[in-house]
Amino acid sequence: MINRFTLFAITFMWLGVLTPSHMSGQDKDRAYLFYVASESEDQVTVVRFDAVRGLSREKVINVGNLPAEMEAPHGIFMDPDGEHWYLTLGHGFPFGYLLKYKTGVDTVVATVELGMFPATVAVPSFGGLALAVNSDFHGDRVPSSVSVVDLESMTEIARTETCTMPHGSRFSPDGLKHYSACMMDDQLVEIDVVTLGVSRRLDLLTGTLVGNGVMHGTDDMSTRTTGMMVAGRQVCSPTWVAPTPDGSSVYVACNKGNEVLEVDAERFQITRRFDVPGAPYNAAVTPDGSKLVVTQKSAGTVSVWHLASGERLGLVENTRRVTHGVIVSPDSRFAFVTVEGIGGEPGTVEAIDLQTIQRVDAIDVGKQAGGITFWRTNPIEN
Amino acid sequence: MVGAKTGLGMLVAFGFGLATAGSAQTPTRLEINPASLSLDVGDTVVVTATAYDEAGNVMDVPLTFFSSSRRRLEVDRGAGTVVAHRGGEYTLSVRVLTARDIRASIPVMVEFPALASVEVTPLGERFFVGASVRHRAKVLDVTGDVRTNVPPRWATDDPSIASVNRFGVVTAHREGDVTITATAGAASTSHEYRVIANPIRTVTLSASQDSVRTGDVIHFEATALDARGQRIEDAPVTFSLIASPDDSAITQSATAEVDQKGRFVAEKAGDYTVLAVAPGNVAQHTVRVTNRDVSRRIEYVGQGQVSNVPTSDLWIWEGVDGRDYAVTGTWGAHGAAYFWDVTEPSSPALVDSVVVDARTVNDVKVSEDGRIAVISREGASNRRNGLVILDVTNPRSVQVLSRYDDELTGGVHNVFVYQNHVYAVNNGRRFDVISIEDPTNPHRVGRFELDTPGHGIHDIWIVNGIAYTSNWGDGVVMIDVGNGRWGGSPSNPVEIARYRDSGGRTHAAFPYESPTGRFYIFMGDEIGRSVPGGDRDGSPEAMAGFFHIVDMTDPENPEEVARYDVPEAGSHNLWIEDDVLYAAYYNGGMRAVDISGELKGNLYRQGREMAHYMAFDPEGFRANAPFTWGGQPYKGNLFFAEHNSGLWAVKIHPRTQVLTP
Repeated sequence: MINRFTLFAITFMWLGVLTPSHMSGQDKDRAYLFYVASESEDQVTVVRFDAVRGLSREKVINVGNLPAEMEAPHGIFMDPDGEHWYLTLGHGFPFGYLLKYKTGVDTVVATVELGMFPATVAVPSFGGLALAVNSDFHGDRVPSSVSVVDLESMTEIARTETCTMPHGSRFSPDGLKHYSACMMDDQLVEIDVVTLGVSRRLDLLTGTLVGNGVMHGTDDMSTRTTGMMVAGRQVCSPTWVAPTPDGSSVYVACNKGNEVLEVDAERFQITRRFDVPGAPYNAAVTPDGSKLVVTQKSAGTVSVWHLASGERLGLVENTRRVTHGVIVSPDSRFAFVTVEGIGGEPGTVEAIDLQTIQRVDAIDVGKQAGGITFWRTNPIEN
Repeated sequence: MVGAKTGLGMLVAFGFGLATAGSAQTPTRLEINPASLSLDVGDTVVVTATAYDEAGNVMDVPLTFFSSSRRRLEVDRGAGTVVAHRGGEYTLSVRVLTARDIRASIPVMVEFPALASVEVTPLGERFFVGASVRHRAKVLDVTGDVRTNVPPRWATDDPSIASVNRFGVVTAHREGDVTITATAGAASTSHEYRVIANPIRTVTLSASQDSVRTGDVIHFEATALDARGQRIEDAPVTFSLIASPDDSAITQSATAEVDQKGRFVAEKAGDYTVLAVAPGNVAQHTVRVTNRDVSRRIEYVGQGQVSNVPTSDLWIWEGVDGRDYAVTGTWGAHGAAYFWDVTEPSSPALVDSVVVDARTVNDVKVSEDGRIAVISREGASNRRNGLVILDVTNPRSVQVLSRYDDELTGGVHNVFVYQNHVYAVNNGRRFDVISIEDPTNPHRVGRFELDTPGHGIHDIWIVNGIAYTSNWGDGVVMIDVGNGRWGGSPSNPVEIARYRDSGGRTHAAFPYESPTGRFYIFMGDEIGRSVPGGDRDGSPEAMAGFFHIVDMTDPENPEEVARYDVPEAGSHNLWIEDDVLYAAYYNGGMRAVDISGELKGNLYRQGREMAHYMAFDPEGFRANAPFTWGGQPYKGNLFFAEHNSGLWAVKIHPRTQVLTP
């Protein structure tokens, strides 16, 4: 019989060389706190990681109003000032919601109804505004929108139509541009945050701008056909956008195309391609701009890329399947990854050392862990 | 207040010069001009905003306007053009989108539309001296909306003939002609009565029954007669009652009701005197109400415990081998459906299970011939949900025949199997009709979706070729899917009628043709309840909401006549059979309710409850936390699914009369 202690011991040995002995003194004096949403548990978990204790669940927050209806918390984002965090609930009657929580006490302070299945949400660096994609994962294949919410009054001030099944929601570092991807239209869409209108669309299959007749793509990278053949046609099916900290590029995960595309943010052209098999899903660039971390959904892996050289630095296998979200600690030291699991499996949060490109710990949270957002770094007093 | 008032439809520009992009500086203050707005519905105005730096200099920066209710007070976010669509008080704001706190707001008052008419009831030609009749006024504005925020003013042109109070109660004092006027704003309605001498000499009052039980409806009929003994058809008669309940601790007013159609129902035993009041005459009739005495002993029979995961719905059926079986779903778990042999209900035996790629198998249904089961899928790892069709000819060896998710990827929450078709609630928006005549090759043949703004759907139930869909705020919709009377078929669903109850949270509905000849629809809410102190991990959960009972005998004139409302708990699924409502009531447990006879009032308080059972299981997913999902009477037992503890069977024993010498 395997008891809990034995399981712990096995797990510890399995993690083996990944233990905190590799950490520097500086690494050991801080703890990282972040929030994780579990879509099939209607829970948000506050997770803590430090180099000594590893990952721990600090708090579990039940979300939603109906205990017998799954309301599907999906997107989660911490306000840059840390005072509030924002959560999308995908399932409503039928429209979903954006909830505003007070950080720390983690209670709802305001709610606003959005569109069909709002998914990813983001807040720009200057705060006060949230853009959430109404992904409408399961509706008719018609164009959907991005909801723009004033966060002080929790008022939806605009609903900008973008494309069919928008997903991913991230701002440029200066907050003036918003990027989202179109899973069914193979586009990268840029919204001008000043006008809230779509400023540019990039066809990710052809590498050309859409809609204004301007054809870009005179170099090989931008005109090369993207994606793989699915049902007789090329498909990218982009699921995520990850701007670089300097705003020069945006990385787009082609989930079905098994590529990550580097898009020049100024020219809106594809400039590089990374072959990422296993259905790349979410991505994050380290704050120091040196690495790209990509979750690979079907492969159950996370790849880490050196952006300057374009080389893959390593591949980390996840403890479960269906890898989902990723964030990177502000010091660019660790990546924290969510893994959904399948069926009755719990969701999992994994911590990856971005120096050794190895998993250093994993902890279970509610089922279908997906959305993840960084809260803060705490000093640890010795 | 500084304001700008415009005429209907006028365009008034206050200046327009803003919104150029690209300023590197952020202002410290914004100001909207004017400082407030007072508009009429239909007005269009343009407001401007000015940005100032710390030194008070005007800055040229992009600004964005928005309204606290963009559907009612539309605003062009760039141009500042404001269009007032609905009356009310709003806030118009402007902000620098690229700065968190740089914003300004002004109040906007939109006058409600002009009032167009006042409709008064009741009306007639004559009024009897001594009569007092309450009149009601419905105020309508030019858009046709009923304006409940404008109370009418009542007036009489000759108070010596007839006076009227502020509630619209008109009292006639002497003979003559009088005009009663109801006024709301500029709209008014006047009605002229001829007040005549009161011809009523006697009033008689009869009751359909003199002795009833609590919950039974008595129909009272009052007849006013003149000096010649002739019936006066337009005699103003009002009903009231005096209660003398057996329980002396209960006040006179809280135990029974009589409406102005003369329908009486009591909640407590006692003597009740109903009064029929006509000018100068009162008739009274006393009836005896006894306790309903329908309570029955309910006894635990058996449990098929599921304690590792929450349980969802159930279905019980007789298998092709003549034995009895149940299927239960699981919720927020590993995508399992469990099959039980319940031939011996005291010991349900788990005989097989099916696990699909899902986290919730919310609904389970079995075909009429007991050969095909359909289970719904939600939370599939690849987000392709849909449903799974199973061969349950041998429930000990259930076989997956096919999976169907074409345009059903959003998660099928509920299904109904009816005459070789699956009716699948799709993505909370519509239902799809899928033929399973060849269950290995299911294919869509029809679809139905409402056209109301923001419509949704939660459940579907089919009886006699009519689908009853539960549509949250849109209530229940009746759709011909094969009855034929309205030309409907599975491939051509035809809407028959719809009814929105007073709750607006319709989650499940069940039709019932009562032996009384009345046709009722029971409509259940689903509403969450916050329980103070209940947020600790593992705490029992609670719900709110109740069952609304709608008399749909005349589909053109439905009437919400009764409710079954258990305090401190919430309604979920339901089943009706042989004049008994089997109500799954979440934290209120499994409840059986006598719904015989005509229904009126709150059935819970009328002693109509026959039995209820709280399924406590110390080993449950949540220990000792009844959270009843749904029940199904079957061959003398009542089976029900408990969210926290699996499949249960109880027996409701026939009522035994205790004879005393």
